[in-house]
Amino acid sequence: MAHAIQMDGIVKAFGGKRVLDDVNFSAEWGQVHALLGENGAGKSSLMNVLAGLYLPEDGTIALDGTAERINGPAHARDLGIGMVHQHFKLVRPFSVAENVMMANQQRSWRTGLRQTVATIEKLSAELGFEIDPMARIDRISVAEQQRVEIIKVLARGARYLVLDEPTAVLTDAESERLLATTRDIAEKGASVVLITHKLREALEFADWVTVMRAGKTVASTNSGDLSAADLACLMVGTAPPDESVAPGQAGAEVLSVSNLQACRDDGVQTVNDLSLAVQGGEIYGVAGVGGNGQTELAEILMGVRAPLGGEVKLDSEDITKRHPRTRRRRGIRSVPADRFRYGLSPDLSVGDNYSITKLTSGSYGSFLWVSQSALRKNTRAAIKSFEIQGAGTATRVGLLSGGNAQKLVLARELSDDSRLIIAHSPTRGLDVRACAAVHEHLVAARDAGAAVLLISEDLDEILMLSDRVGVLNRGRIVGEFSRPVNRVSVGECMAGHA
Amino acid sequence: MLSRSLTFGRLNLEARQSISPWLHGLIILLSVVVGLGISVLLLIASNIDVSSIFEEFIVLTFFDNAGLADVLLEWAPLILVGMSAAVAFRVNFWNIGLEGQFVWGAIGTTMIMLYDIGPDGTQIYLMCIGSIIGGAIWIAVPLFLKLRLGVSEIISTLLLNYVAGLFVLNQLFGAWQDPEAVYYKSAQFADHQRLPEIGFGHVHVGLYVALGAALLVWVLIERSRLGKYMKFVGSNTGMALAAGIPVTLVIAATVLMSGALSGLGGYLVAAGQEYRLTIYVAIGYGFSGIVVAFLARNNPFAVVVVSFLMAGLYVAGENIQVFYGLPEAMIGLIQSIIVICVVGSDFFVRYRLHLVK
Repeated sequence: MAHAIQMDGIVKAFGGKRVLDDVNFSAEWGQVHALLGENGAGKSSLMNVLAGLYLPEDGTIALDGTAERINGPAHARDLGIGMVHQHFKLVRPFSVAENVMMANQQRSWRTGLRQTVATIEKLSAELGFEIDPMARIDRISVAEQQRVEIIKVLARGARYLVLDEPTAVLTDAESERLLATTRDIAEKGASVVLITHKLREALEFADWVTVMRAGKTVASTNSGDLSAADLACLMVGTAPPDESVAPGQAGAEVLSVSNLQACRDDGVQTVNDLSLAVQGGEIYGVAGVGGNGQTELAEILMGVRAPLGGEVKLDSEDITKRHPRTRRRRGIRSVPADRFRYGLSPDLSVGDNYSITKLTSGSYGSFLWVSQSALRKNTRAAIKSFEIQGAGTATRVGLLSGGNAQKLVLARELSDDSRLIIAHSPTRGLDVRACAAVHEHLVAARDAGAAVLLISEDLDEILMLSDRVGVLNRGRIVGEFSRPVNRVSVGECMAGHA
Repeated sequence: MLSRSLTFGRLNLEARQSISPWLHGLIILLSVVVGLGISVLLLIASNIDVSSIFEEFIVLTFFDNAGLADVLLEWAPLILVGMSAAVAFRVNFWNIGLEGQFVWGAIGTTMIMLYDIGPDGTQIYLMCIGSIIGGAIWIAVPLFLKLRLGVSEIISTLLLNYVAGLFVLNQLFGAWQDPEAVYYKSAQFADHQRLPEIGFGHVHVGLYVALGAALLVWVLIERSRLGKYMKFVGSNTGMALAAGIPVTLVIAATVLMSGALSGLGGYLVAAGQEYRLTIYVAIGYGFSGIVVAFLARNNPFAVVVVSFLMAGLYVAGENIQVFYGLPEAMIGLIQSIIVICVVGSDFFVRYRLHLVK
């Protein structure tokens, strides 16, 4: 019997960087196939190629033994490929049936709606989903929305089902139930690919496991043949530690976080009893798979999100309830993950964005009259010393490239004395040179005595820069490591197998 | 990658990355011309002689002393309501309640007269302060509701317009009614409670007050630290907060300033034109202020220019009414046509159209 899915030599590059580098992948009928790897390993990219969202530069795809050139999402859909994305593609104010119908267009609205409702009821009964076809999307829970997504692809007869990190948004019980359902779907004859970074899911629910790392497949094997430790090792690799960054001289404790609790905007608790401490002159790396509370931790420290409980102290002073303004005065600086959300205002000029946190410093004139000449002079000096290319003081920040926009954030945040720097994924989306520049600036700030909290999903970055590493899993630090850090132990901790 | 262009037949539509301020200005200017063109067609359809439109519209309004004086008289309160809207819109506070704040400015002015507060010589200044407080109080309510309870200011400011209007009506039928008048209006202000005229038609010093206020607002929003903060709060609130800007304070200060400016408009009309409180004191100013701010894209300098043209349009409209007996609604219609044309021009600001060969 032919492979259900066979992908050979797939290559995909973005801006010269190969995110998929000669990848081979095959999945069988009637099986659940786990595609395992760290963030950025290329799992989602590979499946986006299958779903026709990316066109590969090279490589071949065969479905059920027939070679296919998938030229777009509609084509992939016609071939029976259905992908449930991590971020749901549902239209919120509309009903379940209307959403399903939009993905499976019918000739007439009224008969189409009746047919769709019947299909949804049939599928939900088969899968045990209990979905009300007339419920509005924004009135149902996240787990139910995910079921709607699954029904949406099954309703149009998908035989290849791809689920991208389906359990990231679910509770344990919901995950369990969903994974059991995917087994049912596979046993009815489909081929299911489960993209995940959780070892347990791969070991318990998948028949076969493929591990990806840095754009390559590093192993593909029967899930019974491997232990959790083997998988963790494959996932994070055994690359020798990069020791190019000399250790820092740790001083007195600067930041102390104790028993922090916090919710995400949708009410799901993502930070759960988190405690950590960072000393001056050290880089503390927070490793972990994205979505384990990183964003909320960074936001709480910046002062833009109120915690539900716990305490944050800076230099032994309780700052849990302080306004970001006070925190800045005490020396907290932040390089946020989403630079256009908390770092910069893309509609405004480089000069305005650079000077906004410094207007009260006294060197920018009075309250009534901000000195434009001082603003221009200081901004120009910063552009020069941080080598921000393509920027004048009046350039709109939205026109800068990612790397240069990030350098602008660094220029603003690191150009004066700081006690604590919160760097959240500071090199996301940057090229090699820009990355190196960001790392240099962080190390320089540390050597000047600042405490640096580096929150990153890139394990290489964490291991290279950090003096100490804490692993964040399900909203708490589950393990701490000092130099020299054992990569595999960190990997196991990250994957929930400490 | 998603394509950022669309093709319809031979017409290609492409999203612009950026636009030069000159081209932006030109597009807005052209859309105003198109709006005026459509308005002229409407006037022709109402049997107005084409050859006299220029005469009635431009010459009698701007180049005739009496006409120009009327325009200047109308201009002053329009500057203030235009500024009021522009300031609030800059921090994304959609103040639809300019009219209510205007009314309360007039009430604040009148109360100094009614309760004879302060020595005679200072009363004209106290009235000014009274109007500012009146306008600010009337916007403080929606401001509080928005900041504390998240109530939409669009609804609360809009509805408070009616409350303000009905409150005035109630007072003018009762406690504040002029005992000597048969109609419902307050007693007249004494001479020392009136803004002195400057000797050009009925133009009074309120014009200087309005221009002075405009200058002050310009400094505050274009040059001061508050203005920088407003820019960030208006364009990216989350980032503004993270940058340490006292976001709530900035919004509160800006919004109170907006209310105060509208209130000052009420002072100009009550103490400079009507010399008393009437129920018509604010009619039309509220929505004109929003139109001015919109056409001026919340730019304080442009507000001054646009409100002048808007004042001209009013006076021209009155002239046409007198000469041709056209309904007042015609002026509203012309205003609306111009506004819709400018709104529509935004499409050409955001997209570039070109023919594919």
